[in-house]
Amino acid sequence: MEHAYYFWWALLWIIGWGAVGGIVTPRIYSKKDLDVSQAALAGTAIGAAGGPFALAPLWYLTPRLNWKWVVVPGVVILAIFAASFAAADPNNLCVTNGPFVATQVTNGLIVGIIYGLMALGLTLIFSIVGIVSFAHGEFYMIGGMAVYYFTVVWFPGMSPFWGILLAAALTFALGAAFELLFLRVMNTGKVERPDEYAILVTFGLSFFLQYFTLALVGANPKKVQRFLDFPAFGLPSANHPTVLKVTSSTVNLFNTISISSPRLTAALMSLVLLGLLLWFLQKTWLGKALRAVSQDRAAAVTGINPDTMNTLAFGIGTMLAGLAGAALVQVFSWVPWVGTLASARGFVIIVLGGMGSLPGAFIGGLIVGVVEALGAGCVPDPQRAAAYIPAYGMVILTLVLLLKPTGLFGREL
Amino acid sequence: MSQSKWIWGLTIGGTLLLVLAPLKLQSQPYIMHIAIVAFFYAILASSWSLLAGYAGQFSFGHMAFMAIGAYSTGLYGKFVRLTTAPTHICKEIPLGKYWLVIMNIYGNNCLEAGKANMPVGTLIYRLPAFQGIILGALMGGLFGLLVGVLVLRLRAAYLALFTIGFSEIVRVALNAEIKVTDGPNGLELAPLFPRGVHILGYSFAPTDKLPPYYVMLLLFLLSMGIMHWLSISRFGLFIRSIREDEEAAAALGVHIIRYKVLVFVITSMIAAAAGAVEAHYIGVITPNILLILQMSLVIAMAVIGGLESLLGAAIGAIIIEFALEFLRTSFTIGSVTVDMTTWRLVFFGLLLMITLRFWTSGLIHPLIQRVTRAGVAEETVAKRKAAEG
Amino acid sequence: MIELDVNNISKNFGGLQALNSVTFQIRGPELVGLIGPNGAGKTTLTNILDGAIKPSRGTVYLNSRRIDTLPPYQVARCGLGRTFQVTRAFRRMTVLENLMVPALAMHPTARQRDFRDKAMTVLEFLTIEHLANDYGRSLSGGQQKLLELGRLLMLDPDIIILDEPFAGVHPKLMEIIYEYITTVNAQGKAFIIISHDMDTIFTLSQRLLVLNFGELIADGAPDVVRHDPAVIEAYLGEEEPPEAMEETYLGKTEGDSKDA
Repeated sequence: MEHAYYFWWALLWIIGWGAVGGIVTPRIYSKKDLDVSQAALAGTAIGAAGGPFALAPLWYLTPRLNWKWVVVPGVVILAIFAASFAAADPNNLCVTNGPFVATQVTNGLIVGIIYGLMALGLTLIFSIVGIVSFAHGEFYMIGGMAVYYFTVVWFPGMSPFWGILLAAALTFALGAAFELLFLRVMNTGKVERPDEYAILVTFGLSFFLQYFTLALVGANPKKVQRFLDFPAFGLPSANHPTVLKVTSSTVNLFNTISISSPRLTAALMSLVLLGLLLWFLQKTWLGKALRAVSQDRAAAVTGINPDTMNTLAFGIGTMLAGLAGAALVQVFSWVPWVGTLASARGFVIIVLGGMGSLPGAFIGGLIVGVVEALGAGCVPDPQRAAAYIPAYGMVILTLVLLLKPTGLFGREL
Repeated sequence: MSQSKWIWGLTIGGTLLLVLAPLKLQSQPYIMHIAIVAFFYAILASSWSLLAGYAGQFSFGHMAFMAIGAYSTGLYGKFVRLTTAPTHICKEIPLGKYWLVIMNIYGNNCLEAGKANMPVGTLIYRLPAFQGIILGALMGGLFGLLVGVLVLRLRAAYLALFTIGFSEIVRVALNAEIKVTDGPNGLELAPLFPRGVHILGYSFAPTDKLPPYYVMLLLFLLSMGIMHWLSISRFGLFIRSIREDEEAAAALGVHIIRYKVLVFVITSMIAAAAGAVEAHYIGVITPNILLILQMSLVIAMAVIGGLESLLGAAIGAIIIEFALEFLRTSFTIGSVTVDMTTWRLVFFGLLLMITLRFWTSGLIHPLIQRVTRAGVAEETVAKRKAAEG
Repeated sequence: MIELDVNNISKNFGGLQALNSVTFQIRGPELVGLIGPNGAGKTTLTNILDGAIKPSRGTVYLNSRRIDTLPPYQVARCGLGRTFQVTRAFRRMTVLENLMVPALAMHPTARQRDFRDKAMTVLEFLTIEHLANDYGRSLSGGQQKLLELGRLLMLDPDIIILDEPFAGVHPKLMEIIYEYITTVNAQGKAFIIISHDMDTIFTLSQRLLVLNFGELIADGAPDVVRHDPAVIEAYLGEEEPPEAMEETYLGKTEGDSKDA
């Protein structure tokens, strides 16, 4: 960073005026006896975007606030952020090299789809069972491990399709069994403080599963061959692949954006699974019953047993995590503690998207994927950039919890 | 009442046992080492039980405060010196005959360069560890205040997620800012007593386990004393009422914001002080102490000991730390080698879950309650009989 | 002299007008009943008096001190105590500890032992002294209600707001609560009692406030209010309000707390 101070001053400006706007605006709105529900968030956004120049007219005119008063300043903040970054570090790849940025964003979106799949499981569990599972990443890890052991160790040559199916079955069974043994007791009223019990017991499960796997399989990284070898071809023609060039290991768009094929396979697989999940929830009787329970626990009167639905939902949730792991095991090397980061990422995504919101989880996944890809690609000093990867999501998490705990699509708390 | 005499007797007896134990164990440095680490975990587990069990704030960021304490004293030792002459290059604050020299974090070591400006015979002192420990505790309290204010509105799962996020950010920053913290290799610290201890005609080398044993024991007893006093005073009463029902407590005149923030500040300070002492004792601190594993261990200790009992959590921590160490040895059955370093953790994970499921108040706490509440129960039974009769 | 001044209190939730210009005064140890159909704004009004939510407009003064801007704990210290519709005993604290919380909150330098005798007297008055060292969670629902009343005596406020004190309690317990209210009232405390139990509230209170759709439609002696046409209309045109209300409330004890 040549002129790092540009960036830090801009950041300080954003945070400082954001805080001022967030604290003062609701007071002014309540003093003028206006609706204050959006005042804190919009005040923060407007303050951060325009500083005193935007806050003064806002406080003077106090217009009726809606989501536009958050989105527009949000875009301005992003622009200030990007501009100050470009000014601070004009030689950065992210500033000079458009194709690099495009590749990063595309890869972020593609990984984001898979993150979304995993977070979908977490949010499904939250919306039906009513708890945040702190062991979600461990099911993701087990999904990947299962694919490795089924297709590489125990039955070499087994088609990845069957490996994935077995991994799904295993994670479903584990999740459902855990729900039966440890979470069902919460519905009986015998647990004094169910919320805290659920946090601690799933936390204990995460600890147990991680070290149990470590004890069984050891700490050596596991690697799975890519599931699918793409046929080589090009568009418009194989000799001049200016639009699309596919080789067995990468896919290249417009000669600029390059995506590794295992990632693309995983993303496509996730999209198919998402489709299946939506079909299941919208069209099947069981799916409708699940949604009914997530709306209203008293759905029991209509012949649905909420206890069974809880078990089912927890099983499906953990299965989705297992499937995300099964999809990604061909992309990353797999160790028993991959779940820790995955868990953390899942929390970020569901909080960002809004706890219990399915579309929120998907869009949150995309956002987190892109932010991580840009963070890893753009922060100067690659070693630091890589070290900070887990922190990008956590910064999002803390900001969302402070500014809008309901997330993008969450129900009111 | 005879029962309160029992409690006093047990407390004094237990304390004496811990104070006098080194007489017997001094020749076994390994046991002494485990005992020191056990006290360290006992402080963390009991302070977490005050935060989570008493006040109902299930924070997963406790180890982050511990690390803040440890790194504060580590960085204080790394970057701050006292000299008898100014360097004219570094940032320095004159203090009478001395100069407090703050070395620049990035760039060259200004103290080395500044030696050219110093007269021959200039003395350069590292500052004593106890200053760093106090600084560490204060920094822990400061961050506790910050986090306590930020999480005021968050409940249950949201609080847990926020504190995990905080802890991860601290860990990642410590890992990434290599120039400041030395990154994953860890920050080296001076021993608690760099020149050893000479007292009453006895001499102890800096590596001797006896002085750090007593320092950690003192911190343990001190923090237990403070926390116990808090728990039986109005503070304990109020934070428990907040745990039970915030709105009802507020309607009865309890200043909930003050006590929620205060409990974060106090437990963070205690955790930070423990971290600072432990870091000086071990001699190196790495960001890995912030791994979820460490937090899980503290939680397991507190839950198995008894979440709503400071003493239960502390005893649980001491027993589990010793158990963890003695279960370390791997063994072989036939051709299979069982790697106990991992399996013992599996075992404690399982124990944690089973304790939560079947013995909500932990394994140690009910035993303590048997002694302390036995009389109360009889008294109540008698009164109930009288009321019925 | 106890003085409560509620001036032009209004409260909007989003577009919903929960309270509209509610004004009334309490002078001295009055025993006031607050009634109204479900969703009339009773709980909202209680929450505003208690400081849990801020009014959109209007002011509340207690003993000439403005309390609508204060947080609940300060309102409590100014001399306004309340119970909640759903019993809120501190479940994992003993009965004595439950009573100590308000006592110590009111007296910043006092110690627990200073209040032990007073607490035992309160428990004897409420006939639950034999439970002093039991945990709140081991008490029956009715006993927990008594415990809440006991906590209010330890808080020692000027005005006590009781939200549905008679809902779902045993007749014998009801007697104790009834006696509690009359005795404490005679000792000089003002009461505001929200109840759906019309028979009891009409005989117990000296004055009735009737809320309907967020408006105060009647304020006066029970006999006058009983024949007020606006009140009769509010209760679905029934000649005798009591029976009409009995039914609506039985199925709906918990719903009201949501409108806070």
